[in-house]
Amino acid sequence: MADEDETKEYRWESGYEKTWEAIKEDDDGLLESNVADLVARAKRKRAALKATGAIQLGMMRHLFVVVDASACMFLQDLKPTRFLCVLKLLEVFVHEFFDLNPISQLGILTTKMKRSEQITVLAGNQKKHIEALQQLKDLSCEGEPSLQNSLERAMNGLKNMPAHSSREILVLFGSLTTCDPGDIQKTIKALKDNNIRVSIIGLAAEVRICREIAKKTGGTYNVLIDDHHLKELILSQVQPPAVAGSIEASLVKMGFPGGTPSVNDGTSDSSADHAPAYCLCHIDSETSSLMGPNGYNCPQCGSRYCELPVECKQCGLTLVSAPHLARSYHHLFPIKPFIERAQVPNTTHCFACAKLFVEAETNVYECENCHQIVCLDCDLFIRETLHTCPGCASDPVTAQMKTN
Amino acid sequence: MLELKRALDAKGHCLLEMPSGTGKTTTLLSLIVAYMKAHPLDLTKLVYCSRTVPEIEKVMEELRKLMNYYEKEMGMEQNILGLALSSRKNLCIHPSVSKEREGKVVDGRCYSLTASFVRARHAADDAVPICEFYEGFDAHGKEFPLPPGVYNLDDLKEYGQTKRWCPYFLARHTITHANIVVYSYHYLLDPKIAEVVSKEISKSSVVVFDEAHNIDNVCIDSMSVKITKRLLDKCSNSITILETTISNMKENDSKRLEKEYKRLVEGLRDATIARETDMALVNPVLPSEILEEAVPGTIRTAEHFVAFLKRVVEYIKTRLRVQHVVQESPAGFLRDIHTKVCIDRKPLRFTAERLASLIRTLEISDLTDFSPLVTVSHFATLVSTYTKGFTIIIEPFEDRAPTVSNPILYFSCLDSSIAIKPVFNRFQTVVITSGTLSPLDMYPKILDFHPVIMTSFTMTLARPCILPMIVSKGNDQVAMSSRYETREDTAVIRNYGNLLVEVAAAVPDGIVCFFTSYLYLETIVSSWYDQGIIDQLQRHKLLFIETQDAAETSLALINYIKACDNGRGAVLLSVARGKVSEGIDFDHHLGRAVLMFGIPYVYTQSRILRARLEYLRDQFQIRENDFLTFDAMRHAAQCLGRCMRGKTDYGIMVLADKRFSRADKRSKLPKWIQEHLKDTNCNLSTEECVQICKRWLRQMAQPFSREDQLGISLLTLEQLQSEEMQKKIQQRAQGV
Repeated sequence: MADEDETKEYRWESGYEKTWEAIKEDDDGLLESNVADLVARAKRKRAALKATGAIQLGMMRHLFVVVDASACMFLQDLKPTRFLCVLKLLEVFVHEFFDLNPISQLGILTTKMKRSEQITVLAGNQKKHIEALQQLKDLSCEGEPSLQNSLERAMNGLKNMPAHSSREILVLFGSLTTCDPGDIQKTIKALKDNNIRVSIIGLAAEVRICREIAKKTGGTYNVLIDDHHLKELILSQVQPPAVAGSIEASLVKMGFPGGTPSVNDGTSDSSADHAPAYCLCHIDSETSSLMGPNGYNCPQCGSRYCELPVECKQCGLTLVSAPHLARSYHHLFPIKPFIERAQVPNTTHCFACAKLFVEAETNVYECENCHQIVCLDCDLFIRETLHTCPGCASDPVTAQMKTN
Repeated sequence: MLELKRALDAKGHCLLEMPSGTGKTTTLLSLIVAYMKAHPLDLTKLVYCSRTVPEIEKVMEELRKLMNYYEKEMGMEQNILGLALSSRKNLCIHPSVSKEREGKVVDGRCYSLTASFVRARHAADDAVPICEFYEGFDAHGKEFPLPPGVYNLDDLKEYGQTKRWCPYFLARHTITHANIVVYSYHYLLDPKIAEVVSKEISKSSVVVFDEAHNIDNVCIDSMSVKITKRLLDKCSNSITILETTISNMKENDSKRLEKEYKRLVEGLRDATIARETDMALVNPVLPSEILEEAVPGTIRTAEHFVAFLKRVVEYIKTRLRVQHVVQESPAGFLRDIHTKVCIDRKPLRFTAERLASLIRTLEISDLTDFSPLVTVSHFATLVSTYTKGFTIIIEPFEDRAPTVSNPILYFSCLDSSIAIKPVFNRFQTVVITSGTLSPLDMYPKILDFHPVIMTSFTMTLARPCILPMIVSKGNDQVAMSSRYETREDTAVIRNYGNLLVEVAAAVPDGIVCFFTSYLYLETIVSSWYDQGIIDQLQRHKLLFIETQDAAETSLALINYIKACDNGRGAVLLSVARGKVSEGIDFDHHLGRAVLMFGIPYVYTQSRILRARLEYLRDQFQIRENDFLTFDAMRHAAQCLGRCMRGKTDYGIMVLADKRFSRADKRSKLPKWIQEHLKDTNCNLSTEECVQICKRWLRQMAQPFSREDQLGISLLTLEQLQSEEMQKKIQQRAQGV
């Protein structure tokens, strides 16, 4: 959360926080430390799961994010309110999502007053989504949410997506109740038949129907502990999931617009490419302006876009750049899981971040290839962000081997 | 297990408190079966008494698992026969009789098809219908014992279908040689039934009473009789029927009556022979010497007996015509009946047996009409047999409607040890167990026995999966209590309402609330309605209310479960001591929170209760207040325990009454709840409570797998054998 939000909040406006309990010594062997332990283990599990490799990943994702906008999202247990906190984190999520899954598409729904509203349609333009999210901030949260309505709507949007893509729904659910028009079990079945994976993040407590939906459709269900945990949970959805069952492989037509021509050098092949033109991303918004020669032209129809990746509005071609594809490539070859070890006697610090190992940290992790030792946080960082082992990369021998 | 073994070794009785879902049944079964195998001479039979049919089925399921395990490990068939027994209603496979829904009707119809005289008549005349299944059993079933194995009710039915034998009688026959018998407590405690069903169980058996926290009430109920005016009117009708039948029979077949007369002269002992099927009518507990005596002359002939009955009924009718409450002892009653209508004590004692005999002789096959008369005859027998431990209370009207005349005669048993005494005396080991038996020392007192082992076990848990809290005040700092003085206070009612609304907003899925009485529930709900609390509540969850009508309640329950399953969430308002609090489990999402509004004291103005309290004080030196608190707290614990049905489950328990935090109340909660009730959670306001709930629910929602429990609440064999663990176990199982 941003700092300025924190300062706006007065202590007496927040809930009871028994700060003394956080530092309480855990003498009865139960409570907080134990739960923290569980969370750490879950983290580790996630890392291990991701590391298994050799599974087909759904790289081309179609994801609907459903945001609860019911009355309970106004609660202030996340700062400043649940709703604003979620939106803010979603912005980060959208950014990360397109960063890691450049050839995927995303749509946003909200649910309130027992209805579901579409905020953005499935599209690959992250700017648009982020804009929409920013506008959502002024939305008033009221009424009750409807899981069924929003799932149905998302399903209608996803149903017709090509079979080779992975269809997903992510629900951020703050309410503890859902007001549905019909039998939700039927919806669950339909979701399952359509191969749609529903993951739910609960903001308050475990709701049984959510767990059931997630379990039946092969998604995950998690409940947050605090905003840091929420961020972690949301960002864990960035990684493409393993494909459930066998999805037919198919070829996808893509366009690679030429690299950005610099403004200064006029040595371009065709002048039409650089003639000032309206950018198609912004053509319908009021702020659209004639843009300069910067931009990407669709190789099929020649429409101009200011940003990649995008789906061409004219001809429907997916436009990407080669680095985008390369970035999703690492999903196919994840690095091998590190070996969990108890404290290794002669290493005192983490290889990656140089942090000293303290007593409290029970386990360290060793790379199979280069035998360097890293801490749990670095292990996760390597897995989730770097996608390459710093030990192997810095060792010329192994690095050489890898490129070969 | 250790404790149980000690009790078995000592051949004594024991009292164990184990939280539900910790494998109580499995522990008991596996140890006792193992003991049976190791010492076949010392221990021959296990009688497992449970409360309801689903519970019986659950026990059978556990037993089956155990047997399968034995088979797998030992590699051979086990020579153990396990059997469940229930009423005819649950076991009948007769095509038309089994369609009946009411237990009594099934019994009556079965009787009309299988009574010895009906069968005799059938032998003479084929047109008389009989039950082919019973005939099949009678012809062959007795010679061939059931092959070893585990039979639950459905298995028995299936077995009966294939062999064309009556499963009910087959089961009853098999009880005598089965190793493990599972049935309802009534078969052992209710003297009327126990005499017939459980007579032949040998002394070297172990008797287990599961879910036995209410065992004293069961004992008392089985010995008490309630007579209303309507019942007496019905009695008069049945007496008229008896009269006409007798006069008819006199004309046609006077020989039979004579025969009966002779038999009665010889004594009743013979009469009990060959009436195994006629059990629907049996005597209440009769000291055996009575059976050996001859029936007194005054009631030997049928007409005299009917006249005698008539007098008894008329006498009771006159007694009911009172304007004020009367309470007297059985002795006083006997004296009065003697002076007013000249009935001696002795013939009264024989009433029940004599009536049974008469009905048999008259070949009346439809027994259902006679049940009022049977009740009266039981009353007559009991009142003349026992002079101590009982009281008679006649109330001209109900307390709630003092203007409507509705006279009731209560013949109430005050001493729960009377019914259970034969059980303790007869069997070498009696195990009484339940999730909520605290405070343990009360049970030996009121049941009058000396246990060798009394232990309360707690749960070893990998995470704090129950959250008991005592909420004593609302946000406005007004103390919350269901005390009589503050009961009508709108501030208290509003605070209760706010508490529920806020908890409902913070807790997912199902919430169950318990009130102290139906009356209190109704007043609170109506004032909540006025205060708009119901509206607020329905924004979060649907609302269901338990009523006194069983059908309505079960409908409410079904919809409650549906609402929880669908994620809408629901609140169930129910009453401590009601049906919901006793038999229904709210596991997992069905009961994420239990709220207890007030302390469920029993209605203290009731005269029966007062009489019982007085009796307890005089006989067992139990102070009134102690007993009341004990009774209230065990019901509270029972209600709280509804939401916790296993180690993976979790639930919030809110005790919303200021008085709960007092030491005398708090210390009477079961150990496994007390353990989690921290001092900091004992005097909370609504807001604090909700904050704690929220945080705790988030913690509980974190993934929790089997590995997390390993080493803490799940042990591998090596861990179990390690010395450290042994020490821990010893520590945990310290007696009370």
